[in-house]
Amino acid sequence: MYNPKDIIDVIGANVRMTRNPFGIPKFLVNSWHQDLHPPQKGEAMLFTGLMYQFVPYIETSTDYLARFEDSDWSQYLRYARYMPGYLSGLGLALLTPGSQKRKYNAILQNIVRILAASRVSFFYRPELDDYSGVLLYDLGDQDAFVQHARYVAAKLKKAGIRKLITVDPHTTYALKVLFPKYVEAEFDVTPYVELINLHSHNGTRRVTLHDPCFYGRYLAVSDTPRRVLSNMGIDCVNVRNSGSFTSCCGGPAESISPKLSDQIVRKRIDELKSTGEPIVAMCPICLGNLRKAGANVEDLANVIAAGING
Amino acid sequence: MARIETAFIEDMKPFGEDVAAACFNCGTCAAICPLVSDHFPRKIIRYVQIGAKDRILEHSRDLWQCLHCGLCTQTCPRGANPGEIILSLKRYVVANWRRS
Ligand code: SF4
Ligand code: SF4
Repeated sequence: MYNPKDIIDVIGANVRMTRNPFGIPKFLVNSWHQDLHPPQKGEAMLFTGLMYQFVPYIETSTDYLARFEDSDWSQYLRYARYMPGYLSGLGLALLTPGSQKRKYNAILQNIVRILAASRVSFFYRPELDDYSGVLLYDLGDQDAFVQHARYVAAKLKKAGIRKLITVDPHTTYALKVLFPKYVEAEFDVTPYVELINLHSHNGTRRVTLHDPCFYGRYLAVSDTPRRVLSNMGIDCVNVRNSGSFTSCCGGPAESISPKLSDQIVRKRIDELKSTGEPIVAMCPICLGNLRKAGANVEDLANVIAAGING
Repeated sequence: MARIETAFIEDMKPFGEDVAAACFNCGTCAAICPLVSDHFPRKIIRYVQIGAKDRILEHSRDLWQCLHCGLCTQTCPRGANPGEIILSLKRYVVANWRRS
């Protein structure tokens, strides 16, 4: 296990300097929209919160953190005023394979296709799409979270944004629950899953859903993805720990202890695999963590988009 | 022997949840927690109840093992909100680091 203070200091410094936990300039992280040209006008703004975009970088940095965990080198993190290249900044950006970035960008591109096919009026403005700061909150760095959340909310308010469509549970929770509570910023926030209005009678597939903790428990929206899949002709075979009793994938521990995170995810994978059906996730952290441990998992957006195309 | 700080629950108030008093030490949270680690979080909630600040600071690293998954809060029969108490303690410890 790393010293939490060292990790918190690194992440806090990165967010202060670059507005994201990895210290990578935003134009490098947020490129998914460039060839797609999503609409620039509409009723609600698509707000990705950059979480899907971060997953390839999380994979790279966790891989390095796992190598040094509990070794003498782990102590050096505290001296990382000039952060090690595998943890932040351009070094991390360069170490992260383009193929991984394309894989996660494709999920966001599919979300745009799904919203368009569902006739949702939305737009995207990359300059207003920022990281929500939710990791700072989860790590207990409340002052840094509040400071960052104020910055994000002020930008959105200044641009006159009121309605947001989110794509992951962590950002949704931050905007829906934490922003009103801690920075008095109220937005009308809807996860994209709730806006899907698609029907297909071709499907006869079955899948097993891994409910993320923040959708299953904190925001209680587990029925929605099941309804959406059922409308596409896809049945969900539930494991015992699902919905509001879902089991965590261990992802949130990956920066502090990759070892612990790995132990937890392996248990969860065994449970998910027990149904014998393909596993579907709907949170970038879960998806990255389950995949890293070797599970064959698809993102919900890819499954739905395949249904539209098929 | 742990030193009991009666003012600890008051000290904690600015950092969040203050329902530790509701806990009756049943251990449901520790049984359901995916960490399966040394009576966590029940033991920590007990330390909060009795104001064993030294013990909490001694075990402060353990707080960051918590995934903030909320399963303990979901299942606690007393509404003691153990998951949020752990998060409040993280905030308390971070604020202490910043001050020192
Ligand atoms: S916090 Fe709740 S579940 Fe845990 S020991 Fe106390 S009463 Fe039981
Ligand atoms: S919120 Fe933390 S203490 Fe509670 S069950 Fe999840 S990991 Fe365990």
